[in-house]
Amino acid sequence: MATATALKKKMVRINGCVAAAQAAKYADVDVIAAYPIRPYTATMMALAQMVANGELDAEYIVADSEHSQLSISHGASSSGARVFTGSSGVGVQFAYELYSPISGSRMPVQMMIADRTLDPPGDFGSEHTDALSTRDMGWIMGWSCDAQEAFDNHLIAYRIGEDPRVLLPQMVCQDGFFVSHITGDVELPDSGQVKEFLPPYKHPYPLDPRHPVSHGPQIMPEQGPPLQLERARAMEGSMAVIEEVHEEFGKIFGRHYDPWIEEFMTEDAEVVFFLQGAHAVTAKFAIQHMRDKGLKVGLVRLRTIRPYPTERVRESLSKFKVVGVIETNMGLGSVSSGGVLYAEVCAALYEADKRPLVLSFMAGMGGEAIVLKEFYWMTEKMQAVQKSGKIEKRTHWVGFEE
Amino acid sequence: MSYTELTVWTRGIIMDKEGRDIVNSVSASARLEGKYAQAMENYVDNPDRTNCPTRKYCRMSDSILENELTYENEHPNIVVLVEGTMVKGWDYMRGMPPGGTLVINTHYTPDYMIRFVPGPERLSQLVCVDAAKLADHKWLYYRLGELGLDRLSTEGAAERNKLIAPDIAAPLIAAVIKTTGIVKMETIEPMIANKHAFEMALKELHIMKLSPVAA
Repeated sequence: MATATALKKKMVRINGCVAAAQAAKYADVDVIAAYPIRPYTATMMALAQMVANGELDAEYIVADSEHSQLSISHGASSSGARVFTGSSGVGVQFAYELYSPISGSRMPVQMMIADRTLDPPGDFGSEHTDALSTRDMGWIMGWSCDAQEAFDNHLIAYRIGEDPRVLLPQMVCQDGFFVSHITGDVELPDSGQVKEFLPPYKHPYPLDPRHPVSHGPQIMPEQGPPLQLERARAMEGSMAVIEEVHEEFGKIFGRHYDPWIEEFMTEDAEVVFFLQGAHAVTAKFAIQHMRDKGLKVGLVRLRTIRPYPTERVRESLSKFKVVGVIETNMGLGSVSSGGVLYAEVCAALYEADKRPLVLSFMAGMGGEAIVLKEFYWMTEKMQAVQKSGKIEKRTHWVGFEE
Repeated sequence: MSYTELTVWTRGIIMDKEGRDIVNSVSASARLEGKYAQAMENYVDNPDRTNCPTRKYCRMSDSILENELTYENEHPNIVVLVEGTMVKGWDYMRGMPPGGTLVINTHYTPDYMIRFVPGPERLSQLVCVDAAKLADHKWLYYRLGELGLDRLSTEGAAERNKLIAPDIAAPLIAAVIKTTGIVKMETIEPMIANKHAFEMALKELHIMKLSPVAA
């Protein structure tokens, strides 16, 4: 199904939702499984228009729920199609049953997630809990911080997931509103560049009546462990492919991303923020202002959380005195009684020779913007810990304390 | 002015496009003039229903916008009411710094309308323009098919009309630009589809000058 051909490079002003749709168009997807939920809906709207206008030749299937969306995706991918789907918030949860079967059968389905808080009581704002709660289901997962990065991450993720050494599904996440609804300048590439970067998808064992194979049959208990081990190895083995693909992306498109973490003003930093996604945009302004006043503060942004770059996180964060983890997710009753990122950070640091003190900040909850003065407030908390050398309070709910 | 906020209050679905056209055209013009500018809709209002109040925002600055991710305009310098009866019922003046501008689509005069404005002492001018009459009084009816799609709460994604300001947004944009000068007339004028209503509005504004005091 050839469509996105002869497109010339151009700059456009689009939001994250449309950027994701554009990426799906450039990736020349074969099957799209849609079901609406804010804030990701506009992605499917844009794709529906592209299909209707003849810009994209794809099967556009409107499912009756997210569970069906992912079931359709599973089936379509099994037959060898390049599949695009997506959801937000409770929609991500409703499809939960399918995440493990899809990664277990090694189907490189791509799912766009524009985060939305889970209920209660029905908030549109971004919280990463929806996607993060599925983080151990065998999907490659990472967050982008603006529309351009979202566009790029979709292409990169297809290339990684469809690599025969990987064959894993991908969740390409972006913050609802902060990326999905904020417009930015996005460079849409030449279709030739995409052709060079992303070869047509070819699953090694597609369902095909001419060459019968079985997918997902009932198995005996002793057949389970080898399958699980194989999937774990695929996840682990994907790390080398992820690095390779990012490097090649940089060569072809001229935008170079570190696949794992982005560091900002960390050279001589003593206290750093650690976060995922769009709040990095405001964090950078806050850090610049604090730097002007002589504060040694920096930012480490995690770009890929699954597979988790344990070594890189350890290597990066062990340089600092205090790390403030900005969660933007709920980990009720978790290690820190805050979010789930804290545990991921501390576990990575456990074997380090030098360990920073780690705080957990519950900020940006319910999709509230984290404003400059909140970054200043969090920095003060980190500096106090640096000065005293000990943590008296591990988790801070920003906006609820003096 | 180095930093300006424009907030447009409109009616969900039936006048959604009008509100969007105002902030989008002003923001695009500011960017053409080399400023940093952003247009967006109020994210929380956005799964709108027919007639419910919804807000559209534009921000522009000579320097980079550090509050790009903030949901709402907290200190609007300019407020536009796309539908006249919105003058009553909610505090669209909230946060306006002294010296602001209020533009209302109404056939009434500023003398009559000012009694309904909450906190009018912050205004430096109240501008009334009969946008519905200047554009085309049938504007609502020829869009019914499109509005039907918009009722699905598509946030404009189902809009067929690619024209900017083919109707009552045109005179409202004219009113904003003529009375505030936030962007140059020659930058924004080429974007406007309804040139006739735009030109007419420039001549038919009712402007009440006021002496703002600090709130």
